[in-house]
Amino acid sequence: MDTVETTTPRPHQESAAPRPVGESVTRLDAHEKVTGEALFADDLQFGPNMLYARIKRSPHPHARILKIDASRALALPGVKTVVTGQSTPGFIGLYLKDRHIFCTDRARFVGDPVAGVAATTEEIAEKALDLIDVEYEVLPPVLDPEEGVRPDAELLHPELGSYEVANFIFPQPGTNIPNLFKIRKGDVDKALSEAAAVVHHSFRVPHVQHVPIEPHVAIAKVDERGRVTLWGSSQSPFAQRNLIASALGISQADLEVVAPYVGGGFGCKAGVSMEALAVAIAMQVRGRPVKLRLTREEEFYTTFVRQGLVAHFTMACDAEGNLTAMDNKFFWDGGAYAEYGVNMTRGAGYSSSGPYDVPNVRTDSYCVYTNHPVGGPMRGFGQPEMQCGLEQCINRLALEIGMDPMEFRRRNCVKEGSNLVTGMKMHATGIGECLEKAAEAIGWGHKDPPSAPHKRRGKGIAAMWKAPAMSPNAGSSAWIEMSEDGKCTLGLGGQEIGQGTFTVMAQMAAAALGIPYDWVRIASPVDTKYSPYEWQTVASRLTWSMGNAVVAATKDARRQILELVARSWEETPEDLDIVNGNVISAKSGRSSSLKGLVVYGLARPGDQGWIGGPILGRGSFMPTYVTGLDPETGQGERAVVHYTTGAQAIEIEVDLETGRVEVLRGASAFDMGKAINPDLVRVQMEGGLVQGISTALFESLQLQDGVVRNPSFVDYRIATSADAPRDMQSIIVEVPQDDGPFGARGVGEHSMVPTMPAIANAIHDALGIHPGAPPFTAEKVYLAMVDAGLVK
Amino acid sequence: MREAHPGLPDFDYVRPASLEEASRFLAENPQSARPFMGGTDTFVRLRDGFWKETRYLVDVKNLDGRAEITFDPRNGLTVGAAVNMNQVVADPQVRAHYPLLAQAAHRVASYQLRTRATLIGNLCNASPAGDTLGACLLFGGILRVHGVEGFRDQPLAGFFQGPGRTALQPGDIATSIRFPLPVPGSVGHYEKLGRNVLSDLAIVGVTALGHPDSSTASGHRFHLALASVGPVPVILRDLLTQAPLTPEALDEAAGRAMEACHPIDDVRGSARYRKFMVRNLSRRALNRVWEGLQSGHCCE
Repeated sequence: MDTVETTTPRPHQESAAPRPVGESVTRLDAHEKVTGEALFADDLQFGPNMLYARIKRSPHPHARILKIDASRALALPGVKTVVTGQSTPGFIGLYLKDRHIFCTDRARFVGDPVAGVAATTEEIAEKALDLIDVEYEVLPPVLDPEEGVRPDAELLHPELGSYEVANFIFPQPGTNIPNLFKIRKGDVDKALSEAAAVVHHSFRVPHVQHVPIEPHVAIAKVDERGRVTLWGSSQSPFAQRNLIASALGISQADLEVVAPYVGGGFGCKAGVSMEALAVAIAMQVRGRPVKLRLTREEEFYTTFVRQGLVAHFTMACDAEGNLTAMDNKFFWDGGAYAEYGVNMTRGAGYSSSGPYDVPNVRTDSYCVYTNHPVGGPMRGFGQPEMQCGLEQCINRLALEIGMDPMEFRRRNCVKEGSNLVTGMKMHATGIGECLEKAAEAIGWGHKDPPSAPHKRRGKGIAAMWKAPAMSPNAGSSAWIEMSEDGKCTLGLGGQEIGQGTFTVMAQMAAAALGIPYDWVRIASPVDTKYSPYEWQTVASRLTWSMGNAVVAATKDARRQILELVARSWEETPEDLDIVNGNVISAKSGRSSSLKGLVVYGLARPGDQGWIGGPILGRGSFMPTYVTGLDPETGQGERAVVHYTTGAQAIEIEVDLETGRVEVLRGASAFDMGKAINPDLVRVQMEGGLVQGISTALFESLQLQDGVVRNPSFVDYRIATSADAPRDMQSIIVEVPQDDGPFGARGVGEHSMVPTMPAIANAIHDALGIHPGAPPFTAEKVYLAMVDAGLVK
Repeated sequence: MREAHPGLPDFDYVRPASLEEASRFLAENPQSARPFMGGTDTFVRLRDGFWKETRYLVDVKNLDGRAEITFDPRNGLTVGAAVNMNQVVADPQVRAHYPLLAQAAHRVASYQLRTRATLIGNLCNASPAGDTLGACLLFGGILRVHGVEGFRDQPLAGFFQGPGRTALQPGDIATSIRFPLPVPGSVGHYEKLGRNVLSDLAIVGVTALGHPDSSTASGHRFHLALASVGPVPVILRDLLTQAPLTPEALDEAAGRAMEACHPIDDVRGSARYRKFMVRNLSRRALNRVWEGLQSGHCCE
């Protein structure tokens, strides 16, 4: 290895924060995951009573459902029920309720669930699918978002105007546009006419899939009174409770979601996708658990995919290299249902300047219904796709006026106090430092000779920003309960999806309470019946939002303990502290273990009774300061809670004989405010870089007439460790966040945002060719070299 | 869209006691019975619903009890049908006398799959992308086949008839493959282009083999086998015999390979790109072989 940065744990410097915050403690779940003891949803056992579900899906991208005849399927021995849209008339959706659990009158993508079967074995359920007869009237499909917005386009959702919608989403009734987000800041036309340089480029970013190692799985059981329990691999137990209960017309209190460890989510297990199918089927066979597992192939097109994007950018600067204007048009390929994807459209809009201070910005960000798989959240939530084109245009503009692309970025990047694209004022941020450190890490400005005569080297850089894109009032809560020996159990509702959140929460709780890290246990699995509310495990928001709730709960417990001891010692709580599990007094020098007192309280002197009682801390957090934005201008006081910023610098080598791009070095520098656990932060940076490389070089769902042509790992290639650069550097920058616990903000998604454009810019540096839209496959790069006359 | 079954369809697993029994069973059930070796292609295809009529999977591994690699200095190399790819890669005799075969076997899928996948299975599966087909063809491999009539030899020349189609008849079981001794001084090289570094199918695969030949003007003779650019491997024999070897001559031979193939557009790559890659990888492979011939080392 050329680098020790990411492989050798190093003591983290500078620590005003109490231990173990800022330390790379061992993950709480390491032992059980390494030994295979950890339970995932498919490991749970339900006994011989369990039924297995399979789903009959539309083979057409767009069709009216005329008739469904399940009689032959129901006659098959072992089949217990067949469920269709008639049983599930309600609507479901996070931001826009535009989806039925099963199709009712219309199927809108290849894979749309038309009917569900429960049978005594998975094989019988699968066989029954062939015995369900569905009569369709095929309708013309919409297969391109720019076609979808045309006035004469076939309408996918004629009822769009009647759908229930969150107040910050703006559907356009009578069109295929479930959300249109606009930015109007300054005078773009004037700025463009006065500019020293203008670039205009378009990009078509393909759909990709999350490909978690664990496919979706859900088990639902409905008791005789109609109360539902759902076990599943989920990033959003509480959102699922709410959305499924609403769609089925039952109380949220009568739907319990149990969510064990998640074997990778990356967004595809957020909100509701296939889980509601299992519940709807279980409704018809009360008392029996019903299990639904997706095949890997189904994973590729029946759950969320990352939306495709067609993006047009025009941007301009003055002669000194100051950005003066941006004029953007985004057409998001939202797919058949945009219940979640509409908010990516919004997020792209309010971040559409990139991490730059631009006085004049005009953006139209359209979410468009198409007869493609359903677009949903994926790591980065629209920003990797949008900033892919934006950061290539920034590079081109810099080169156009003869400025170093890194210098151009440093000059224009947002700073504390910058007037952002929405009118919000920027908080303190370390983006300039991130740019400098990432560039320095790969020897920016030096061109190393290639490793062979038929190779060319290049370096590229890209900056990024991203805010948590969520409901403005997405909340978190936590509790902490003490056991007799002073150790504690932390209740929380955010999910451990591999990112290490349980570990980080335990660190924060230990630090805030004053006990050793290994005294903290997590009340898991998350269970909506017993765990405190958490909106969703998305948006890189847990460290920040759930962390705030955990710190609040822990401080609440700490206050109770100190008040109790102060009363007993006849001191004031302000003179007391908890250090390493002992209450100590700075005034009297007294010290007492937490043991016993946190459950039994303390005895009054002279056997005169007791004071105190079991300590139970509670805390919650909800951002109350995010304001609405004007629908016509996108302007408002505070569009988002905050932005995490960062940069990546990449060195590549291109093989002139094959077009293959090899990433030699990748340096990531991100400002997460405070690294609660530096190793876990670095792992996020590495993982994001590799996933970014994968989407930059290999990944694309090949859609033809609405059909995914490569729904398996045979032809949907992802990066393996052999494709990862040998030299990966992950650099921590810490400019504290004022509303974050210990100054922390999120960093989980951000590290895959700048990778695609950084690689594109490096390819240009190597070859003088702009590769445009990803993936920059060997074939694409080679044929571009042929077309440019670089090779014959 | 093809719907993958969550599990495998119903089938009976048949483990015959002898080759005779196996051949008889397969011949009596030509539509519904399939022989299988490591199963790395068979089970994937079954799950994917390619073979709707399959009712019996007939396990033909090692029915002759000779799951081994043997080398005879007069007759050459014999690889038994139950020998897996990793065994081929690691075998000292293969590495000493047929390093090209070890190199090609090493490029098949991933290490884990190579513990199940077999050389014979790779040949009988007859995928145009098969990594080892070129090396086996250029080494003049001869399959030992057991059919209802007993044993016979089946040369690989003419064996491949289309994707998944071979000269094997119902009841035929390939039990081993024999490779005659290579021409002294032979040097081979396999160039594989996948979409990413590890475990992809070949988008283009080029196998080159060269050896000294005092009867030619160049003093050498070269052969090429091309994978994934036609329904069966494309073979170009007796290249670079006419004139002294120069970089230009190698370029020209690579150009001939490009002209000789007629690839298609598919989900893995375009015909246009594949043709360019046949030329470039052929040039690369021929040069590697030439370097090996000049240095007098068998190269990998």
